[in-house]
Amino acid sequence: MKKILLVVLVVAMIASMMAGCAKKADLLATVGMVTDAGTINDKSFNQGTWEGIVKAAEEFGYEPKYLKPVGTTKADYLTEIGNLVDSGYKLIVCPGFKFETTIYEAQDKWPEVLFVLIDGTPHNDDYSDFKLGYNVAAVFFAEEQSGFLAGVAAAVELKTAEFGFIGGMEIPAVQKFNWGFQQGLAYANTNYGTSATIKAENVIYQGTFDDVAAGGAIAAQMYDKGVDCIFTAAGGVGVGAITEAKARAVNGENIWIVGVDVDQYPDGVYSGEKSVILTSAMKGIGTVAYDMVKAFHQNTFKGGVTLIFDASNDGIGIPAENPNLSSETESIAADVFGMLKDGTIVVSTVQGDLIK
Amino acid sequence: MKRDYTGIVKSLGAVFLGLLAGAILMIAIGANPLKGYFYLFQGGLKSIERIGNVFAIATTLILTGLSVAFAFRTGLFNIGAAGQMLIGGLCATVIGLSVELPRLVLLPVMFLAALIGGAVWGVIPGFLKARFNVHEVVATIMMNWIAYWVVYYTIRNYFTAGLETESASMPAAGQLRVSWLSQLLSGSYLNLGIVISILCVIVIKFILDRTTLGYELKAVGFNRHAAKYAGIKVNRSIILSMMIAGGLAGLAGLTYYTGYSVNIQIGILPSQGFDGIAVALLGATSPWGVFFSATFFGILHAGKGFMNANTSIPPQISDSIIAIIIYFTATSLFIEKLYKKLRGRRADRKQIKAGGDE
Repeated sequence: MKKILLVVLVVAMIASMMAGCAKKADLLATVGMVTDAGTINDKSFNQGTWEGIVKAAEEFGYEPKYLKPVGTTKADYLTEIGNLVDSGYKLIVCPGFKFETTIYEAQDKWPEVLFVLIDGTPHNDDYSDFKLGYNVAAVFFAEEQSGFLAGVAAAVELKTAEFGFIGGMEIPAVQKFNWGFQQGLAYANTNYGTSATIKAENVIYQGTFDDVAAGGAIAAQMYDKGVDCIFTAAGGVGVGAITEAKARAVNGENIWIVGVDVDQYPDGVYSGEKSVILTSAMKGIGTVAYDMVKAFHQNTFKGGVTLIFDASNDGIGIPAENPNLSSETESIAADVFGMLKDGTIVVSTVQGDLIK
Repeated sequence: MKRDYTGIVKSLGAVFLGLLAGAILMIAIGANPLKGYFYLFQGGLKSIERIGNVFAIATTLILTGLSVAFAFRTGLFNIGAAGQMLIGGLCATVIGLSVELPRLVLLPVMFLAALIGGAVWGVIPGFLKARFNVHEVVATIMMNWIAYWVVYYTIRNYFTAGLETESASMPAAGQLRVSWLSQLLSGSYLNLGIVISILCVIVIKFILDRTTLGYELKAVGFNRHAAKYAGIKVNRSIILSMMIAGGLAGLAGLTYYTGYSVNIQIGILPSQGFDGIAVALLGATSPWGVFFSATFFGILHAGKGFMNANTSIPPQISDSIIAIIIYFTATSLFIEKLYKKLRGRRADRKQIKAGGDE
């Protein structure tokens, strides 16, 4: 028995030596990302950011790397950032509001490293101090405009329909999507004669970004209650809702999903080219991530700034191609986008009398 | 009497086989296992800060591991360490956030609150088991979800600040983190929790080995019917055992939510509760065994990100190693037999040399 173990061990050693020799050309280990709650393949927030980084890294010859924290505490986040820093990474992208307190500490702890914080601004634990380091770029998106545009497009396309909303955690970015979407529905009702309705009971924050099963269950309940179209802003939870919608679409039900963050059309395909994704409320996370890596590469990365992406700089929008939208709807959406762009339409970022 | 090393041999054998299997996995994905393990262990041990973090991670695992191990000694499977941990953390957090006291008073009060909260959460399944014979695995799992939603409701409605998904941050007076320790370890998260967990190891060791209570609990664990026949109050033992196990997990919550982290997050069942099962198994349910296996898990947890950052080896490999180690620990009959055979052979040889006969 002992001899067998010994043999296995020796074989393993030799094989490992050989594996070590077959080494590919070294790329610069420079661009890293730490994922937020949820996984890298959440089909939205993390994945969108990561794909932007990968695209840029391939173009400029870096080896990108993402690390997934063990938990979601500040200590866990700082540990992974420390792992990247100690391994020689110089630009670290952190998508998500949860990194606010983390970056607050990291920007001073590692002054030589550059950080990109998406959807947040660095502050300390009790919000008594906000400080944006010279090595940090804070990025915000106008989610309310994105949700608004998708809301108008969905209402105009479906004309008479009952809507629902599934959010992940009840955080500003998700809330703004929700409130913008509701305003979009109302806007379509007033200006384009649609009758889009949304009930308070069908606006639900699941509470996580990764509970796929719960997303499916909530979507099933909503569809059973007569909802025709659900807007999901919930990462992995939204993936569950899309899966549920696909199962129903296969059975001939006429139901829809409005996707989030990236163009989710391909994720909703259930047969041939047909998809349950009506349109998607996009924010240009991939583009921003790409631009940041590019700026870093060209030595033009500017820290200490807050960047806001909205319609005026094409930072948000719906996909260029929406196979499920008619051409009239698309042209109306383009008009509305234009009005968002020049400020004719102002979308509120606060709840007001909207549903939570 | 000769000391029995079977437990240690079993655990080390499982660790060795787990690492070996991990190496094979690394080869299978085309990576160099020597390099992988180099970075894995370097990630855990290369600086004082990182060593401090290993123990910061181990702090909570020691306590949840002890919790599971202690119940296991009475023949009970405590799957509820996660929920007990949440409630312990909740009690401590609620007190830390709502009461203003000098630190020297506040910390002991929080300690007691966490201990009692966890104990209550443990004693309920214990009572159900003793009184109605409800299986403790089912009961503790259900208690996990009750704890999950209790924390969700309480924190969400009364203790948030800024973010809806976590409690307000603990003020410095209510944190187990102490600046001199962090500075000494160049910014590590190690905190007073480690003192609590080591003290608990010593206390539990004492209870199990040196007290009547420990003797009774173990007797119930070995054979419930025999224990009953011998006049041991089995039901009382079950309830007590679950109460102590719950209290330990509650303290784990204290160290995690006011030391490692400085707030409590809602919508998450802490994985440390379940890792405690693995820690207890690898530690052969002995208190010091739990201490060392938690430290080992701490190294793997702290090092896997560093390994991932430096190689193409995904962190899941280190999770797989942990899983395989557990597998080998759980099915360690093989190692045990091997060890006994080897030992037996040696003893035989000795006997032959000495000219003794059967």
